[in-house]
Amino acid sequence: MSWSRAGINGLLLSSLFIIQESAISKIQFPIATFSFYLCALLGLMALEDRFGAIALGFIGGIIQDLSPSTDSPLGKWALILTIVGFLFSRNRESIGDFTERPLAFVLFVTVGVSFTLIIFLLLGIILGENNGNMAVNFQIIFGNALWILLFSPILLPGLAKFRSFTLASSDHR
Amino acid sequence: MAAGGSNRSRLLLVILLVTSLFLITLDLRGVSFTQNSRSVTQTILAPFQRGVSDLFTPVGNFFSDIKSFGATKNKLKILEEENIKLRKKAIFNKDTAGQLKKLQSVLDLAGRGGYKVVSARVIGKGSSSTFSQTITIDSGSNDGVKKDMTVMGELGLVGVVKSTTATSSIVLLMNDPTFRVGVRIARSQSVGVLLGEGGSNYTLKLLDPSGSIEVGDVLLSLGSDNDRPFIPGLPVGYVKAVKNTTGTLTQEASVRSYSSLGSLGVVSIIVKSYNGGPKDALVPVPTPVPTETIYVTQSPVPEVSPVPTSKAKN
Repeated sequence: MSWSRAGINGLLLSSLFIIQESAISKIQFPIATFSFYLCALLGLMALEDRFGAIALGFIGGIIQDLSPSTDSPLGKWALILTIVGFLFSRNRESIGDFTERPLAFVLFVTVGVSFTLIIFLLLGIILGENNGNMAVNFQIIFGNALWILLFSPILLPGLAKFRSFTLASSDHR
Repeated sequence: MAAGGSNRSRLLLVILLVTSLFLITLDLRGVSFTQNSRSVTQTILAPFQRGVSDLFTPVGNFFSDIKSFGATKNKLKILEEENIKLRKKAIFNKDTAGQLKKLQSVLDLAGRGGYKVVSARVIGKGSSSTFSQTITIDSGSNDGVKKDMTVMGELGLVGVVKSTTATSSIVLLMNDPTFRVGVRIARSQSVGVLLGEGGSNYTLKLLDPSGSIEVGDVLLSLGSDNDRPFIPGLPVGYVKAVKNTTGTLTQEASVRSYSSLGSLGVVSIIVKSYNGGPKDALVPVPTPVPTETIYVTQSPVPEVSPVPTSKAKN
């Protein structure tokens, strides 16, 4: 991943984060809210190579860490998403190109977001944080997965197109 | 080439993991730049949140009304445009009236409690993917709001101010898993701790082994030193069910809060409390249920006509 692409991805993720925090989080979804930002981030990570996925995970994690509503220590999301980026790229190499398999892409992102949230809870327990009622937490994870399954077929193709557009323009330069 | 790429990504992974762990350690050791960085993010986000709130709240259901727009006749078009404008205004008025009603209730409770308050509009909600329950309000340090001030709604406690910027603040809601508030049962004056659980239920743990809890008991906030983070005497909730805790020293109960945290439009931040708080003056009075009076009137019994007997004839 070149510096210019890292910058473009950082800007894109910042914009998605602002949309998540100012608009999506205001919508009262049944069961649990939709993690638009995580869905988009993991979608982008799934399209990158190993180096890109790790770097994108870290950048995305730092942005998520800056969320004013979060109580967790700064760096926790960065740590989790860097690990998830690495694991994603490992599995992606065995699955192949996602742009040709949309269903696999959607399922991979849905499972990835749920897995990320579970790691977030587990790391919280290790760091001595109070995660509250487990039933409520699993309801949030389940609700998230449901909304990602519903919305990612609309969101992910757009992201894939945006990525290929930025790739083409950076190659052109 | 591939091995080179693999080594490069492995090196990057190690560097980024170490950086993340370093950041976590700094945060847990209380280095202030982490808090400052989140305040900067909040300052950047607040105008967006306020903009989205202003844009979408008054015209929530407006888009479905656009369908009828686009008639051929000029007059009809003008009338429809006028109609849409009026509808928009009506929706806006309805929204304003709703917010005003909530504000009136909040100010009424604040007035009865003798609190000096700053009222604020809810402009954002924290993402639940972080498993924390927060809201963003449009009042900040410029309005006199400080960290650890009590936040109340129209019926009672809502949460506590977690952080502030010049024009906005983050409020930790009382249903957050990390939220703890000391409470007093109005009936028995027993003291306990109320714990948020992330959902709509709360757990009350009594501190006094001899204390008792009954269903319907009203809970008031116990208060803190210098009234921060909690003002005493603010209604918190009521006991929904008493838990069966035979193995523990003290009783526990499930509690329902008075404030509906899912539909907060306007809240008030208590800046000052006069005369040491309202004591028990804010205990909600149960609304009397009108008894239905049923009048029973006897239906008239048909008179039996005397049957002429042969004796009578005689």
